[in-house]
This record gives sequence, C-alpha cells and structure tokens, in this order.
Amino acid sequence: MMVDNSGTQALFDLWKKQIEEGTQAWTRLVGQTAQAGQGQAPDPLQFWRPFMDAGIAGWTKLLTQGPPTPELLTQWKQFLDQWITAWGKVLEQAMGTEAFAQALGKYLDQWLSIQAPVKKIAEESTEATLQALGMPSRNQVVGIARQMVDLEDRIEGLEDRLGALLARMDDLFKSLADHEAAAARRAAERVAQ
Amino acid sequence: MEAQVIAQWQEEMNRNLRRMMNFAELMNQKEPLVGQSPRQEIYRKGKARLYRYESTRRYRTPVLFVPNLGISRPYVFDLLPGGSFVEHMTREGFDFYLLDWGVFGPEDNSLTLEDCVVRILPRMARKVLEGSKADEVTLLGYCMGGPLSACFIATHPEIPVKNFINMAGPIDFSKAGHFALWLNPKYFDADKFVDTLGQIPAEMVKAGFKLLKPTMDLSTGLNLWWNLWNDSYLTGFRALNKWANEYVAFPGEFFRQWVKEFYQQNRMLRGELRLGGKAVRLRDIRCPVFVVGAKEDYIAPASCVKALIDAVGSTDKGYVELPGGHISLIAGRTAAVHCWPKVSGWLGPRS
Repeated sequence: MMVDNSGTQALFDLWKKQIEEGTQAWTRLVGQTAQAGQGQAPDPLQFWRPFMDAGIAGWTKLLTQGPPTPELLTQWKQFLDQWITAWGKVLEQAMGTEAFAQALGKYLDQWLSIQAPVKKIAEESTEATLQALGMPSRNQVVGIARQMVDLEDRIEGLEDRLGALLARMDDLFKSLADHEAAAARRAAERVAQ
Repeated sequence: MEAQVIAQWQEEMNRNLRRMMNFAELMNQKEPLVGQSPRQEIYRKGKARLYRYESTRRYRTPVLFVPNLGISRPYVFDLLPGGSFVEHMTREGFDFYLLDWGVFGPEDNSLTLEDCVVRILPRMARKVLEGSKADEVTLLGYCMGGPLSACFIATHPEIPVKNFINMAGPIDFSKAGHFALWLNPKYFDADKFVDTLGQIPAEMVKAGFKLLKPTMDLSTGLNLWWNLWNDSYLTGFRALNKWANEYVAFPGEFFRQWVKEFYQQNRMLRGELRLGGKAVRLRDIRCPVFVVGAKEDYIAPASCVKALIDAVGSTDKGYVELPGGHISLIAGRTAAVHCWPKVSGWLGPRS
C-alpha cells in the first residue's frame, strides 16, 4: 500500500529550511563576535548537533510510519522547543562576551546622555506648569513624603526609647516589690520570734 | 489501525476547539486572584509591610521570609491555592511572616541598602518575635533577600536568629553570570545611571531581565498554545503571567549600593562591607544554615549561591542543588515536589 506522506514531507522541508537559516544566522553572529576582537570562536556543533540528531531521528520515524497521526504535532512541538533552546544557547553565549557587555554599556551610556537633557527639560516644564496653576510641584510632594518618612523614624525612635524606659521601670517596680515583700517577711519573722 | 488514527485526530480536534474557547476566555477574563492565603498586616514601616499568615502552629520558632526588594511582587510565593509556598509552610505548622518591601516611587529614592539592613530588618525581626512570643526567629531569604538577611544576621548579634535559609540568594558576585559581566565597572557607570534617572524605572528592570533570557517569551507563547486546551494549565498561566508582567522599580540609592558594593566590588564576601558603622563578616553567622541553589538559575547561578556555605562560621550547614530556574525553584509544580518539602524538612527539627 502506498503511504501518502506529502504533508509530512512538507513539514520536514520546512524544518530543514529552519535549520539552514539558523546555521547561517549563527555563523554571521560568530563572524561579528570574531571581528569584535574575541579570541576563541564558539563551536557550532555544541548547539546544533544535539538538536539535529534528535530532529533526524524524529523525522525518520515519521517518514517511515503509516498514515500521519497527531504525534506529528507533538514532534513538531519538540522541534520548536529544541530550536528555541538551541537559539537560547547561541544568544546566551553571544551575550556572555566582553564585546556584548561593552556594546551594551556604550548603548546605555549614549541613551543616558540623550535622556539627561530631555528629562531635565520635561521636569522643568512640568514644574513651571504646576507652579502657574498654583499646585505643588513633584519635588515638593516628594519632599513632604520624605519628611513623613523622617517623622515616622523619629516617632519609632521615641517608641523604642519609651519601650525601653517602660521595661526598665517594670524591672524597677518588680525589684521594689520583691524588696518590700522580703522586708515584710523579715518583719513578720521578727514578730514571730 | 485506521479507526485508531481517526480517533486520535478527533481527540486533537477537540483539543483545538478547547484551545479556541480558552483563548477567548483568556482575552476577556478579569485579573486572576492571587495571594489568597489568609493573613494579617502586623506592622508597616515606610513602604514595607509585615504580614503574618494563619497557621496551625506546630513549631515554636517563627519564620521571617525576606524576599527580593524591587524587581517583582512577592505574591508569587502565594500564587494559587495548592500552588503556594506560603500555604505549604503554614500547613506544615510554621508561624510564617512575610516581609513585603513594597512598590517604590520617587519619594523612596534615598532608601539605601544600609537602611534596609540597619533600620528595617531589625525592626521587622523584633515585631516577629513580639507577635509570636518566641525567643528566636528563623530568617528565610530568597534572591536578594538572601544577602540582605546575611548582612543583617552578621551585624545584629543581639537579635536571636535560630536558623538561616538562603534560597537562590547571590553571595559570590564574581560568579553572578551575565549580570556580573554587564554590570562590570568597565562598561556600566552606576553613578551616572542613578544620577540621571533618580530611580531605576520598572520598565528598565523588565528590559534587563528580558535581555537575560531573550527566548523566554517565545517559549512561553509556544507552551501556552500547546497547553491552551488544559484548564488547570491556563489557571496557573494566568496567575504567573500577571506576576511576570508586574515589575517594580528600584530606589536609586539602593541600586547604586547594590551594584557598586555587591556586583562590582563583591565586598560582602570579601569582608570589606560596612553597614551602620559595623563590619559585615559572614564568618560571624554561626546559627544553622541551609542553602538552596537551582541548577538552571541564570540570575543567581548555583555556584554563586553556594558560596555562603564556605563563608559562614556555622558548624550545622547544608546545601542542596535542585532542578529549576530562579523562579521555578520556589514557585510552581516542580517546587512543590522538589523544593518545599526539603526546606520544611530541614527546618522542622530545628524549630
């Protein structure tokens, strides 16, 4: 009996295309890293070999079995999972290089240099608008919030001192009561004698 | 054979139908309910809140849970009934307290790491001791809460800490993975960052974490589509997705100290850190210590977390490395099987 595997074959072709494109993109990435002056180039087989081995085994099974079953979809999901994992590893290695850290730092530095004057202008304009409307500025509100935090700290400090004072007074009263009880006992003993 | 294949395809079509229905539900439904374990706020200081959870108390020593500050909300530890670390601990009989650092605004920019260790944590620990009428407390630090707790224990010998558990808390920052590299002073100017922005906005925190795992959203989307027919998966996804998209800003001065003294200079492990005028010496931690690292943790790699074991002066100390990542170590199905019983099992006899 002839088995119609045209759908499976189409999926296989798509999978193969993804692998080829992935490998090409990966090679470009490695090329860029090498150009940025990185020493040891990462080994492509480290990422793609397990993925490809698992893929070939899965496809061989699917292409040789009978009519396609929903297992085909499970296989496809596994391929995508492995594809994402492989790409995750590629990106992880690329982002774990000094070159990437340097590029990221440079980008952030430039972004902050642009951000600083923009932020200053925005703040000044908001401040001026609020002042014109007779409303408290953001800085004033933040200042009040900070004062409240300071006040809370002071109240807590006072609470602590009061607590310590009360504890000390309790101890004093207790020792006074013990002292009085002992004195009363001694007096009673003297009377009894 | 053919009938079996047809039945399989029918089952697949039913799943697709459910996928479509659940997708429509996912788009229309309101916010999922999270953090449902009954609790009571027993103290507040600034933005920080201390919550005590209801429990049938079996152990004398209460547990103060110190999570990360900024980045994310702590309801991930009490995500859903049946999938909650808090629920597990209270069911096991621990008098459980959670410190919620809060959501920070520009008014909190002057809050430093030193404030957290010297002003907030000692007060929270005292409130726990008062609330539970106990003589000693267990500190359980997660993520950034690990080093914060370690600094607090090392500098406050007057607070009786019975046990210390560090879950995925970075200790040796020379092994802190990609973040350690990206925050290297050669490339990252923490002063310029804080001086320009004031606070580190939630969107920036989000961008940093997304960059750490750029394929995460892709695999999350793929897994969602694949499991969309499954109602219980969807319930978990909605709760976790709400949490995963709710980032919290960092107070500027806290970020400055965290990046410079911890990531860039590794001062805590080197014994060069001073907080509140006191030297932080991890060797001064002598209580029983339990450290939990996650095998696939890319935020606080296991080797970076494990360093606490060699740094403390304790004689009773243990380390386990469990499957999962930084979050799945403590939240989710894997955590319920691998992590929570290990933590409660270690802590029970010592409480």
